[in-house]
Amino acid sequence: MAAKSSLLKVILLGDGGVGKSSLMNRYVSDKFDAHLFHTIGVEFLNKELEVDGRRVTLQIWDTAGQERFRSLRTPFYRGSDCCLLTFGVDDAQSFLNLGHWRKEFAYYADVKEPDSFPFIILGNKIDVVERQVTTEEVQRWCCDNGGHPYFETSAKDATNVAEAFEEAARRVLALEDRQAHVMPSDVVDLRRKPRSSSRCCL
Amino acid sequence: MHAAEMRIVPATQEPGLVCCGGGALFLVSAGGCKVEVFHTQQEECPLICRFSTMGIVHSIVYSQIGDYLVTIEEKNGATYLRAYTNWRYQAAEKKRVGVRLLGHLMRGQALHGTPKEQMEIVEIPLSETPLCTACCSITGALLVACAKSLVLFSLKRQSLNDQLDALDFERLLILYVSGWSPSQVALCGGYVAMQTELEVLVVKLENLEKICASDEEHMQLRGDVMAAAGVTDADGKKEPQSPFESDDYFVFPKHLEMLGDKAKDCGVSLTLEWTGMDTEANDNMGVTYILYRRFAPDFFQGCTVEETRLHSLQLHPMYTGNPDVSSDAENSDPACMFCFFSLPNAGYMYSLKNTVELISAYQYPEKAHQALLCNEFLHVITQNALQCFSVRCSAVAARVEDPYIDTTMKACPPFTMEVSALRIQLFIGLKSLCHDGNHIVLLTAADIETKEETERATRRSIKSKEQNSMAGIFLAVGINPTTSPALESFLSRSFLSKKTSVSKLKEPSESGHGWNLYVISTVSTLQLYREMVEYSKRYEQTSPLSQNYVHLLSEAHLLLRASLLCSPNTDRAKIQEAFQESCAHLGDCFSRLEKRDCHLALPYYKMSGLSVTEVIQRNVAVCRGPAPDYGNGFLFFLKHSLYEETMEELSEETANTVLEIFSKAEPGQLPYVVSSSFMKNANPVCVRVHLEHLELSGAPSVTVSLCKAAQALRLGDLHYYQQQMDRHAEMLQVYGFIEEPKLLVHRRGKAMVPTELARHLRDTQDGLLVAAVVALHENSKVKLEEAELFFQELCKDSAESQSIPQLLVDFWEALLVASSQESIVQELLFHLTSVYIERIMCRERSGIKALKTAEDLINSCSHYGSLFPWLNILTPAQFNITHDHQEDLQKLQSLLCGPTLDVSSIVPLLEQLPDEDNTGLSVHMLCATKLGQHENAIEKLLDRCPHAIVSYANHELRRDKMALWWLKLFPELCERIRLSSGDNGVLLTALKETLAVVAMELNPVEFLNLIPDDGTAHFFLAHLLKCSQKHLLT
Repeated sequence: MAAKSSLLKVILLGDGGVGKSSLMNRYVSDKFDAHLFHTIGVEFLNKELEVDGRRVTLQIWDTAGQERFRSLRTPFYRGSDCCLLTFGVDDAQSFLNLGHWRKEFAYYADVKEPDSFPFIILGNKIDVVERQVTTEEVQRWCCDNGGHPYFETSAKDATNVAEAFEEAARRVLALEDRQAHVMPSDVVDLRRKPRSSSRCCL
Repeated sequence: MHAAEMRIVPATQEPGLVCCGGGALFLVSAGGCKVEVFHTQQEECPLICRFSTMGIVHSIVYSQIGDYLVTIEEKNGATYLRAYTNWRYQAAEKKRVGVRLLGHLMRGQALHGTPKEQMEIVEIPLSETPLCTACCSITGALLVACAKSLVLFSLKRQSLNDQLDALDFERLLILYVSGWSPSQVALCGGYVAMQTELEVLVVKLENLEKICASDEEHMQLRGDVMAAAGVTDADGKKEPQSPFESDDYFVFPKHLEMLGDKAKDCGVSLTLEWTGMDTEANDNMGVTYILYRRFAPDFFQGCTVEETRLHSLQLHPMYTGNPDVSSDAENSDPACMFCFFSLPNAGYMYSLKNTVELISAYQYPEKAHQALLCNEFLHVITQNALQCFSVRCSAVAARVEDPYIDTTMKACPPFTMEVSALRIQLFIGLKSLCHDGNHIVLLTAADIETKEETERATRRSIKSKEQNSMAGIFLAVGINPTTSPALESFLSRSFLSKKTSVSKLKEPSESGHGWNLYVISTVSTLQLYREMVEYSKRYEQTSPLSQNYVHLLSEAHLLLRASLLCSPNTDRAKIQEAFQESCAHLGDCFSRLEKRDCHLALPYYKMSGLSVTEVIQRNVAVCRGPAPDYGNGFLFFLKHSLYEETMEELSEETANTVLEIFSKAEPGQLPYVVSSSFMKNANPVCVRVHLEHLELSGAPSVTVSLCKAAQALRLGDLHYYQQQMDRHAEMLQVYGFIEEPKLLVHRRGKAMVPTELARHLRDTQDGLLVAAVVALHENSKVKLEEAELFFQELCKDSAESQSIPQLLVDFWEALLVASSQESIVQELLFHLTSVYIERIMCRERSGIKALKTAEDLINSCSHYGSLFPWLNILTPAQFNITHDHQEDLQKLQSLLCGPTLDVSSIVPLLEQLPDEDNTGLSVHMLCATKLGQHENAIEKLLDRCPHAIVSYANHELRRDKMALWWLKLFPELCERIRLSSGDNGVLLTALKETLAVVAMELNPVEFLNLIPDDGTAHFFLAHLLKCSQKHLLT
């Protein structure tokens, strides 16, 4: 049972160039490279950590943000435990697209109840001087969309990165505990739910 | 050195699943989300890399082709099938791992940009939940079994740059299996094996057209779907698969074995759907049933289903040929394919190629958890022991590879030979077993409740483990150590000098966990071979009557064969050497046997590379004593070696030994033995004594007399020689030579070596010699060319100046008289004609008389015809040439006069023969006549020898040539007479003779028309009158 919950799949989604790969590299390798290539398709890295006394392995999935990589990316949403929706605070459009990302994830990951699924919103690049998105705007959006936690991060100077990922782990564990205690059969239901019903939720 | 060595893998977590291959060992930690990879080939089994999987691994399989791992994983309640490729790049930790869907690589390489050296996971979506997987060791293809179908994926490689390959799979086909969910599958070179708890089915996927012709009902093509025979509805099995699901009564399924084509009636129906890109291949696909087996739990013995559950299904290919040489073995079709599966108490190995048959059945002494077939052994684990059995793969493969096996040339122990338990090693709590090259990997784990106890017991077990593993217990089947003092002492002796590295490592009891993972290097083939030989010797000493030592030596031999066939090997030369030694041992065994299989001594000794002398020494050494008793096998070997003329010349001592051996064991063979060229160093006095002894014992014969005569020549005792030769008539002596041709000739490869006796006969009794060789030829003891070689060799140092010795010509003539074979006759005619022509042309003669005169030949055989009368005019008997010359001329003329010689075949030879004199002319005339060129001949004869023309015309111008009298001869004569001035008496005489004939043949009008206008009337009148009278009469 411990083994089952110890591998947590966390997926990073968001427009191309907002810094998903940089966030992952910063968190796992504690490195930053300003000239990273576009991610192609899907890649992942593992990071072991201890949250509230529990050892878990975060499997962090980095995805290609460009539209043309959509078909390479979407098959791997399934099985995610947590989704990190990422935008750049210097890029208003990337913030506006968060809703689309959320929908895309919910659809392909076959999430039964997107409202209770642990999304975390990351506003990256706070080291950049010219912001196009204010903290308030984002918080409002989070509130309107189900009260997702919001972190303002900088992969470049490591601000809030570890905190964001640890929060992701914490949320997943909390949810798993709830399911384990309250509805042990919920896992099965989730899987068996026909796809058409998830469409209604969107 | 490859001593049996045991190492402990430094894994940190308890392994759940284990698999290995390609020099790597893969462990899935018991939690199931992490794979650790270790080197199995290196001393301390160091870690190669460690990577996380994407879910909890339920099954893991490695494919050496493509170097990929395939897993069935579960995450959040969903099951996934994934292939891990380029995993070796994970050696650098914290590297990003690429993930893609099946098929996404090939579609757009452009998407991939610059290739990255990273591990890639290919996710393979399936419509059903995967149950188990298997990889093809030849192609790297992947077979996935689901509840209702099997899906076959081919492996695709795309080279991204020089070092980097990207792998992908193509979904080739789906095999729907009705009412049958395999618990295990195997795939190898088109063969697909599947297994449920109590059933095994093996089919072959192959080109449809091959089976279409033979069995249409078997396989029908319907669009994209091909349905195999059997019942097609999902649950429609002919017999219930399991009796336990029926509420009302039990149906006891019977044991069933269906081989080859018969397996299609097994009731498991298969439908094939082609899903590959290449739509043409679709038409060529088909399924052939190969093997079906069903077992039933024996309820009366109190067995439960659990105790009768099949496991360890395996397909095992075997290639033949030197693996060091044939590098493309991977791509070629394996020579053999074996299928193995196991019940808890018995294992079965089938050969699937050529004929499908059960090769070996193994009876395990206790319940087996898992079994693993490889080229040289079958490894089996039970609760507490690793057992090693012999296998018959190499015995099957040897026969596929070499058609000479099971002949007098080569031998190999039969694959029906009972298998043996070779070795047992004790372990506590064996859980799983896998195999890679010369390593076996064993996982042991104590059950949770007994863990503490196990840890206490570990020390004890390690001790007993050492004793057993190092002892290398070789048990020939059926030998119970406790009842066999030799074996018991052998076991207690132990090979204690052998060290394992176990002691160097932390012992399991100290590490404090109840599991361990061992890598055991299999004992090197050579070492194992030597130990088996050593043991067989001990066993032979203690119970020589039992033939178990032969069994053990045969096992050792097969082991070496397997090694030579399969593993590319650095010490191949050493194994080859041991192989020859093993052949020698087996030769020794069979040479001493009395009846059964004693003939095997011959091929084994031949394969051993031992000289006959060495073989004799080996056998003499064990048979010392006043009355040595040589085995039948040895005598069989000696006889064959002597008669096959493939051995070396024996020294005097050895040759005399051979004489002794046969004198005692089979005196009747002595004439043949002493005539062998390899025996020519034998002491002639000794030989004579043995032969006389043989005669005294009541076996006088022509052959023996001839043998004695030959020995007398060696001794220079001509008196004795003559005595022996005078004992029998020449005719009988010819029979003697037929019985033993070696009295006259020995073969050296293709050369024919005349014996001293033959040389002596050449000078004293050439008629007998020629008659004998003709008899040998007619009795198929020598071929014509061989006889020719023999005479050439025999006469090469004689004074004869001619290229063809007279004795050979005598032989040809004698054979022509004797032979009735058309092809031989034609060949002889050609030979003889050329010789005669050659001799006529060059008039020198050696003065050696031929055995037969022309007259003899004309009188004794039809090929030589009587000489035509006109030849006597052309070349009268007292011609101006020597007698010999005349003889040759007459023989040639006689052949040309005979019915057999095809003249057109010798025309080219005649071109060199001038016709300036009557000798040549006569021959040319004969040929022209035989070829139907009578007109030419007439002209020539009129030019050169007109007084023979009438005789010629009388003899030759008959029947259809009759008209030539008046059409050719008459006008020619008239013309020549007209042109001649004066002395034309010969021509006139001829003209008169001609007129006489013509007058009788033509009617008067024709005759009148023929008469020339310028002739004198009275010359013709008489003939005209005759002509008229004749006509009136008729």
